[in-house]
Amino acid sequence: MLSKRQFLQAAGLSVASRIATHGAEPAESARKVIIVTFGGGVRYSETFSGDGLRNIPHLAALKGQGRFYRDCRNLGVLSHYNSTASILTGQWQRVDDFGFQPPASPTIFEAFRQQRKPNPMDAWAICTNKSFSSIGAATSAGANVVLPKQLLLDAVKDIVKRGGGMGVADRENVRRRLETILEEGYEGVGWTVFKGGKQLDQKVRETLTHALVEYINGPEAPASGDELTFFITREVMREFAPRVILVNFWDMDVAHWGSYSLYLQAVTRTDRLTGMLWDEIQSNPSYKDKTSVMILPELGRDGDANAANGFLNHRSGDASCRNMWMLALGAGVGRGEIERPVAHIDIAATAAQMLGVKFDCTGRPLTEIV
Amino acid sequence: MVSPLLQALIDNGLFDRIPASFSTFFFDQIKDWQLLFPAEQVYFERLFTLVDKLPPEEFKDLFSTLRQAEVKMGINEKTWPRRSFSLEQVDFLNRNPHYSEWRAAVAQIFSRLDPVMNAEIQRKGRPRLSVVLSPSELPVGPDRLWTRLKGRRYTLESPLDPALHLAPLLASDKPAPYDRWLIQAGNELPAAPGIVSLSYDELQPYRQKLTDEVQQIVEKEQLRGPRELGNRLKRMKVAPPSKDPLLAEFVRAVLLAGNGTLLINNTFVEWASVQAIRRARPSLTISSFGIRNKMKPFSSLLIYSDPEQTNPIPTQIDTLGTYVDLELLYLYVWQEYEKYAEYQRNTVHIFGAAGMDEILVIAPPDFALPAKLNPEKLVAAGRDWLQW
Repeated sequence: MLSKRQFLQAAGLSVASRIATHGAEPAESARKVIIVTFGGGVRYSETFSGDGLRNIPHLAALKGQGRFYRDCRNLGVLSHYNSTASILTGQWQRVDDFGFQPPASPTIFEAFRQQRKPNPMDAWAICTNKSFSSIGAATSAGANVVLPKQLLLDAVKDIVKRGGGMGVADRENVRRRLETILEEGYEGVGWTVFKGGKQLDQKVRETLTHALVEYINGPEAPASGDELTFFITREVMREFAPRVILVNFWDMDVAHWGSYSLYLQAVTRTDRLTGMLWDEIQSNPSYKDKTSVMILPELGRDGDANAANGFLNHRSGDASCRNMWMLALGAGVGRGEIERPVAHIDIAATAAQMLGVKFDCTGRPLTEIV
Repeated sequence: MVSPLLQALIDNGLFDRIPASFSTFFFDQIKDWQLLFPAEQVYFERLFTLVDKLPPEEFKDLFSTLRQAEVKMGINEKTWPRRSFSLEQVDFLNRNPHYSEWRAAVAQIFSRLDPVMNAEIQRKGRPRLSVVLSPSELPVGPDRLWTRLKGRRYTLESPLDPALHLAPLLASDKPAPYDRWLIQAGNELPAAPGIVSLSYDELQPYRQKLTDEVQQIVEKEQLRGPRELGNRLKRMKVAPPSKDPLLAEFVRAVLLAGNGTLLINNTFVEWASVQAIRRARPSLTISSFGIRNKMKPFSSLLIYSDPEQTNPIPTQIDTLGTYVDLELLYLYVWQEYEKYAEYQRNTVHIFGAAGMDEILVIAPPDFALPAKLNPEKLVAAGRDWLQW
């Protein structure tokens, strides 16, 4: 007859044993890790399911090159901040839904910085969600956090307030204002750049300014928060080559407005930007063949048959809200599809192993890709 | 002040006998009794009369799972004041590790109460009619409309003109209070006396005032997220759009629901329709969608601002985007009817478009339409169905 403890261990329910199994000192690693979230929430039905594939041509094409987890679950609080904080900490987070509290347990960024003593420019969180200013760390130095959409919002607000001329219709005007905000006080935008202090380090400022110029002059006239997030991410990768990055796209949360077409456009844009990010990894010698990428929705959205108004919201807790996918690509990841259910909190545990960092959390490393 | 019947149940301690989270939620729902539609008032009276009359063992059994969930969550008399349902309590529930169990327990309670309540409603059921209209500017033919719905398509001998054909239906006979609703993106259909008429376009001055107020609150006050904003908005002083306090509050709640109803005309039509169906259970509802505008670059990021003022780029309509939006919103409106016993098996749903000679009908088997159909005969059949 099994004791209670033996039973729990056999059933995989003992938290202590789960921590112990992956708490051992991992080997040194030169791998880089990029976590990409389809923040804001997207349903299976608009992505890797039947007709949904037409919205994500880039990810659909990449799927065969990596490891696809069919059943990746968010079993935590279905708010944006708690969902992404759970991904980064390996623990289900239950803090303030809107980012007024930091995560309640250490992030992978903190473990990485404490154990590997890297350059402060080695860990970044580039987030469209403007309430993510505290997502980079629970208690100690974590990731540099930049919030491109908040910068954009502040610039547009300023231009509208000043009035006159072509206003926001003049893209050069928008660029000038964006640069001025960076000059005058980037911290007011909610950013944390460890090397910067009150004044941004010259190299950081040049890097971000270059990203703004690329964004404003992009051939497709980009105008969204996610596009700015991409351009800043790319520039940070080119200039600082960080070893661990969170890229949080978030345009698709426009679904709350009730326009399905705007939501689909945002999903397609995120797919395109993720494809461009993958292209950058392939063409950038600092990343090619040494980077593992994990791409996943932060959460889903309510199903069409749900009482809470379908795709507009993400509060029902139904399968459409919780059950998603995760696509891993790049170094050490291999190929194939995994049917076994995994969870959002497994991402941090996996990233820790990839980075060669010891990290105590409830999540378990995904053994196929570490 | 609630109804005498409910007050007697409260005085007899019913709300103290049921689990705290259940009790506070419903107490909050009924506390503004005058701002509830007659259908809601009847529902709450029936619900709590039914609960009150349960034999003690059944009563205990009904709430046992919820009581267990509440214990796990840490809900008790000290942590959970019984007469107020606050933002803190909403947060407490949402962030609690046992939230899913709590939701399941509440669902289980209603899975036992609803059949009893519904059986009575269905016995007293009466015919109902829903008309959902698409704008004439959609860039597709009828064969590509209403693709998510399963119904029977009919060809009309002449195109439907909603203002001409449907206005008389709204005006016929004498409407009961809140029993006929006209919810429009524009204002093509005239409002008849005695019906509830809501137009996104006509609400423009009120929407603008709300938008300005919200923008000021967001900019000047440090609010902790949408729920706190929602609470703050309840205290906002903006002249109501209707002399009827119930409708004024309805419109305000719809526009401040945080679901894009302030920003997008069709979201307003959908959400107002859903809320009218859920709350007022009307016999006749006409939901008329419009064409939404394209989002303007950059300035559309400022959601509480008027894009006409903040961006000199001319406004353009988005017909294709509207088409994609509506294909799903038709489904959501139809599904809302199907959730309630009042509408099941006795509601005729007509989906049409201005200027189009095809309609889609979802109806009980005993609703008959002639083979040769024109808009006048269609409306006559609707009137017959409603027994007006």
